[in-house]
Amino acid sequence: MARQVSRKTLLQWVPLLVLFVLVIFFTALNPAIFSLRNFARIAITSSPALMVAVGVTFIIMGSIDLSMEGAVSLGAVVFAFSFRYFGGSIGNWGWLALPMIVVFGAAFGLINGLIHVRLRIPSFMASLAMGFVGTGAAILLTGGNIVKVDDELFRGLLTVRYLGSPIMVYVAMVFLLVGAFVQSYTTLGRNFYAVGGGEDLAHASGVNVGRVRVMGFALAGAYYAIAAILAVGKIGQAGSVSGANFMFVSITSVVIGLPDYVQDGMLGVLVIVAVVLSTDRRAITIMK
Amino acid sequence: MVSLNKTVENMTSLINEGSSEKSLADIKAFLAKNSGNCANACDANDSPNARPVAEAVKEAGGYLSTIWNKTDDLHPWDTGDNYVCYLSWSGEKPSEEAARELFKAMGGKGGVVHVGGIPAIIPAIERLQGLRNALVDFPDIELLDVQSADWDTQKAIELMASFITRYGDKITGVHCANDNMAYGVVEAFKAEGISGIPIVAFDGNPEAVQMVIDGTLLATVFTNPRWGGGIALSLAYHAAIGTFRPSEEPNEHREFYGPSIVVTHADAVEFKAKYLDATPTYDWNDFWGLSAGGIVYK
Repeated sequence: MARQVSRKTLLQWVPLLVLFVLVIFFTALNPAIFSLRNFARIAITSSPALMVAVGVTFIIMGSIDLSMEGAVSLGAVVFAFSFRYFGGSIGNWGWLALPMIVVFGAAFGLINGLIHVRLRIPSFMASLAMGFVGTGAAILLTGGNIVKVDDELFRGLLTVRYLGSPIMVYVAMVFLLVGAFVQSYTTLGRNFYAVGGGEDLAHASGVNVGRVRVMGFALAGAYYAIAAILAVGKIGQAGSVSGANFMFVSITSVVIGLPDYVQDGMLGVLVIVAVVLSTDRRAITIMK
Repeated sequence: MVSLNKTVENMTSLINEGSSEKSLADIKAFLAKNSGNCANACDANDSPNARPVAEAVKEAGGYLSTIWNKTDDLHPWDTGDNYVCYLSWSGEKPSEEAARELFKAMGGKGGVVHVGGIPAIIPAIERLQGLRNALVDFPDIELLDVQSADWDTQKAIELMASFITRYGDKITGVHCANDNMAYGVVEAFKAEGISGIPIVAFDGNPEAVQMVIDGTLLATVFTNPRWGGGIALSLAYHAAIGTFRPSEEPNEHREFYGPSIVVTHADAVEFKAKYLDATPTYDWNDFWGLSAGGIVYK
């Protein structure tokens, strides 16, 4: 038994160990890797992807959601347009776009979940299709162009730093904690685990499995919207490609970060894995 | 559509989203829908994809002009009339001019990085070559690194952040293979609180021209996509309705370069007024009037 526990513990920390090894290895090649500035850069790169990954955790227990790229693209575009519509600055009514887009994202996820649960379409198909709808709608709205968001206050997400890291990194951390709280301390959160652990059992215990699933998709949609806001904050523009590349990073993070020990609420592992992937991709560029 | 005196309803836009497969599949579906009775102007996304697209159009009896991408061994004149023409822009010369502007702004010394396009495709290769040509005359400028960001803003941010990590203050100028990546480079510097490093770009998009006016970018190169897209479609259309027979035209009328203009701070306002705020009128039946000559293979 003791042996099993240590193996489990070891598994949990593998991503962190890999990160350490990577950092040491690449620092040996180029000392600039090991600097606060560089860690901040990695954190900026990872923040939107981390939000997508947190969204995926609400679903991956039993279903899968492949709509994130379309959802983020559409979210970013709708956010940029509504932000400009409300005055184009956080200073006036532009801030309204922030909660609005989170609600929009949740609604997008809700439709996704309803299609999956009510129409009994496998989740990967329903969500992939919704993702394409999202990308298509983003192209329709923008006509293939980019929408700029250059309000200095909003861009403060990126340009204003506190203890070396931009504000967007802290925003991502806060919503990571909110996600962890929902999963560990709310009935809905515990029901996600119940459904993921054994759908029949959860059903027999009186859990409304369909409802839990739909809520999971809606929550995920809200997180994709947060990712979209951070993505726009990061690059100052939205377009039909704003959500590109998020699927691989987020699904990989969650699959590596949450295998057998889901019951432990190991959301924290995600952070590490998202960082690992990011370091890896950047390091290849840095070392050629 | 202005180029054909037709309304937008007569045109279908197929967007390939950077996927060669989607590009080919969309065109095949479009051909099937119209039984081949259509004129297409297409950027095949990457060079090898131009051949299957041309073959699909020929098989269906439609007419096709391609822009930017094709392999050197594929020629419109090898396939009869259906593959009407190929239009591209020589990236080398204007990219070299932009690089010279950059080096002058850098004071003739320092380190430059190149943020490149998708490696195997012609415009990316030519634009990098233009930079290398200019470097010959500036011995005190070091080309620190060349990496690809796939024409993409997001990837360019990450690439530039990596460059900053690796080279830090050694970077005193940035040469980008297109505008979209230059936006990313600007954002990467903004995130670091770095300003004043000259950046040159390519394409002459409205946002980029505005950035040249504002001084955020040093220069960009305008390739007149409006004329390029219009004339490519006009050629395919007129070939389809029989105004002219492509196979009777000389080779330099079937593979030719479009015009390009380097836009710098000095002329950006004037340029914007002429090409972006107003729409210059073109004679869409003067097919080769603005052509910069037949395409030369090396």
